[in-house]
Amino acid sequence: MGKIKLKVKVMAAMSGGVDSSVAAYLLKESGYEVTGVTMCLGISDNEKNLENPGQNIISKCCGMDSIKDAADVCSLLGINHYVYDFSVHMQEYIIKPFIESYLKGRTPNPCIECNRFLKFDILLEKAKALGFDYIATGHYAGIVKVNGSPFLARALDRKKDQSYFLYSIMKKNLGNIIFPLHKLTKQEVRKIACDIGLKISDKKDSQEICFITNDDYRDFIRKSKIKYGTGKIIDTNGHILGDHHGVFNYTIGQRKGIGISASYPLYVLEINVAKNLVVVGSKSHLEKRRLIAREINLFVDKLPACAKAKIRYNHEETNCRIKTLNNGSIEVTFNKPQNAISPGQSIVFYENDIVPGGAVISEC
Amino acid sequence: MKKIYLDNAATTRTDPEAVKAMIPYFSDIYGNPSSIHSFGQEAKNAMEHSRLIAADFINASPEEIIFTGSGTESDNLAIKGVAYANGFKKTHIITSAIEHHAVLESCHNLEKSGFKISYVPVDSYGFVKLDDIKKAISKNTLLISIMHANNEIGTIQPVEEIGKIARENNIYYHMDAVQTFGHINIDVDKIGVDLLSASAHKLYGPKGVGLLYKRKGVKISPIITGGSQEYKLRASTENVPGIVGFGKAIELSKILMENEIAVQTELRDKFIKGVNENIKNAFLNGHPASRLPNNINFSFDFIEGEGILMGLDMEGIAASTGSACSSGIMEPSYVIKAIGRNSVLARGSVRFSLGRFNTEDEIAYALKTLIKLVKRLRKISPLIK
Repeated sequence: MGKIKLKVKVMAAMSGGVDSSVAAYLLKESGYEVTGVTMCLGISDNEKNLENPGQNIISKCCGMDSIKDAADVCSLLGINHYVYDFSVHMQEYIIKPFIESYLKGRTPNPCIECNRFLKFDILLEKAKALGFDYIATGHYAGIVKVNGSPFLARALDRKKDQSYFLYSIMKKNLGNIIFPLHKLTKQEVRKIACDIGLKISDKKDSQEICFITNDDYRDFIRKSKIKYGTGKIIDTNGHILGDHHGVFNYTIGQRKGIGISASYPLYVLEINVAKNLVVVGSKSHLEKRRLIAREINLFVDKLPACAKAKIRYNHEETNCRIKTLNNGSIEVTFNKPQNAISPGQSIVFYENDIVPGGAVISEC
Repeated sequence: MKKIYLDNAATTRTDPEAVKAMIPYFSDIYGNPSSIHSFGQEAKNAMEHSRLIAADFINASPEEIIFTGSGTESDNLAIKGVAYANGFKKTHIITSAIEHHAVLESCHNLEKSGFKISYVPVDSYGFVKLDDIKKAISKNTLLISIMHANNEIGTIQPVEEIGKIARENNIYYHMDAVQTFGHINIDVDKIGVDLLSASAHKLYGPKGVGLLYKRKGVKISPIITGGSQEYKLRASTENVPGIVGFGKAIELSKILMENEIAVQTELRDKFIKGVNENIKNAFLNGHPASRLPNNINFSFDFIEGEGILMGLDMEGIAASTGSACSSGIMEPSYVIKAIGRNSVLARGSVRFSLGRFNTEDEIAYALKTLIKLVKRLRKISPLIK
C-alpha cells in the first residue's frame, strides 16, 4: 500500500478471524481511518452447542463468539466496531438459493454468492451511504490498476489465493474495495497477528460453509422442511441399481454414501432432477472436456478466446478455449478432460495475475 | 468533531457536583460504616444523610430505603425477596410484556420454582390495560410488578390506578422506577406502591448504586447474605462514595427537576415535530404526551436501527436501538414488537434520550443530521421497493 491522503475512510468487514483482523490492522497502520463492522448473519452459537453437546465446537466465521472476537480486536486497535444485521439478507440471498440449488441437482457455492450480494454489494452500498470511501476484507486477493482501471488480481500467495470466490463482485464496485492481504502469506499474517498481540492469532482457519453448523449440508437441507422426493439410482445403461433419498444428497463425483455395492468403485455422474434419477458409473465417465456456463460476470469488455480456468476452488487451473454463444452463455472447452465438472459451481478465468471474469456452470 | 450525547436513558454523565461530593469518601473518610470507631461513624453518617435525602424525595421514611448495587439488583431483591419471604404460600405474579429484563428474568427464575406469571400485554402506545390486570388477579396473586415508565419508548403507565387495584386486592405492588426516579415526581403514598426500584446513574449519579424502597411492614428476604447491613436485607460493605454521590444527585434533581421537565419536554416535542415533518414513514413509538420528558423513539421504515446508529455515531451523535445481536442472532426489540410494530420496524427503532447537559443547538444539529442520514440510507435500502 502506497502513500495515501489523510482521513480516507475505510470500513473493514471483520469476522473475528485472523485474516480480517490483520487486514484492519494494516489499514490503520497505513493511515486510513478504519471502522470495523461485523455482519450478524443470524447463526446462533447456542444451536451449535446443542447439536454437538460435549464435542469440540468448530470455529466459524460468524456467531456471537466471533462478534466478540472482532470487537476485542477493534478495541486493541483503537477503532470503532459495529455489528450489522444481515440475517434477513442471509436467508433471502444465500440460504434459500443454496437449498434450492441442491434440490435442482446442483452443487452451489454460497461463499461466491455472499461476496456477490452481501459483502460487495449490500454492505458496500451501506458503507458508501455512511460516507466511507472503501470497504476492505481479509481475503487473499488484490485489486490492481491496469490502464487506470481497477481489476481483480490473484494473491501473491497462490496457495491461499481466494480470487476464485471473488469473481462475482460487480465491476463498478472494484474501485471501492481494498484487499490488504494481497501480497502476504498466511504465515506472515499469523506472525503479524502474534506480534501485535492478537489473542486470536492461532485461531483455526474457517473451512466449511459458515451456516452449516455441523458440517453436514444434507442434514441442514433435511431440517429445512422443504419437500423433496425419493427416486432411483441407475447406471449408464439405464439399469436400476437402487433407491435414493432425495437428489440433494448427491454431488457430481461423489463416491462415498451412494449405498450400492459393485465390482468397481461407483461415482455419481449425473443428477437428473426432471426424472428424479441419480446416474452412477465408473470414474472414467466423470471426465469431460466441455461445459456451458451462465451468469457471467466480467471485469474486461470481452473474455479472451484462450485462458486458464478453475472449475472449483481446489482445482488446478487448466488451459481452455472460450466461445460466447448466441444466447449469451459461454461454452468452455478444456485442452484436457476434467474430472467431475459440477453444475452450480463456478468457472473462473485467469490471465496471468488478473481475473478477467467468471460464470456459473449450467451444464456439461 | 463535537460529540453529542443523546443516550441519557442508558446512563448519564455523573454531575460534577456529585463527583465533588464523592471524592472525600475515597481517601479521607474511608471507614467502614459497620465499624464502631470514628472513621466508621463518619462514613455511616454520610450514608444515613443520603438515605434521608432519598426517603424525603419520594415521601418515604429513611428506614424504608435499602441501598443496593444497581437498579437491576433492586428489581431482583423486590421480586425474589417478596416471593421467598412469603414462603411460597402465594405463587402468582402479574407483570407486563415490556418490563426491563431485570424484572422479566426475575419472574422467569421464579417460574422455575413453580410460580405462575401473568404477562399482561400492552396497547399500541405501550399502556397496560387495567382490565387485563384485574382479570389476571386470583387469590393466589402475591405481587404486581409494573414499571413506572418504559426505558425504550418512555410511556408512563397509569401507576396510581395500578396501585389502587393492588391495595383493593391486598396484593403487593412493585414499581420499577429506574427511568423516572429523579426525572418526574414520585410520591410512594400517592401511587400506593409497596416496593420501588431506582438507580443512581440514571439521574447524574455514579454507576454501581441503586436503592429499593420497601414500605414498612412489607416482608422480603435478602438475596445476598453474609452481613447485617441495610436492615439485614442486603449484606455487603456499603458503597459509601457511591451512596454519597447518589444522595447528592437526588438533591440536585430535587432542585432542577421541575425546570428540566419543562425544557426537555419542549425540546422533545420540537424534535418529534421535526422528524414528522421531514421524514416520511417515521413512526413515533410510545404515547405522544404520556411519555418521559426526555424520551424520543422512532421506527424508520425500510432501514435498520444499527445503520442509523452507526451513521449518527460517525457524526458524533450517540443514540441507541432496542435491537441487539444476542447469541449471533439480531433480535428486534421486544418492546417495539409488543406495541404491535412489524419486525422491520422493530429492527428500525432508534431512541434519543435527552439529558441535563444537552443544549438546544445540539438537538437541532442531531435532527438535521438524522434527516440527511435517513435519506441517504433509504436511497440504498434493499427493503424499499
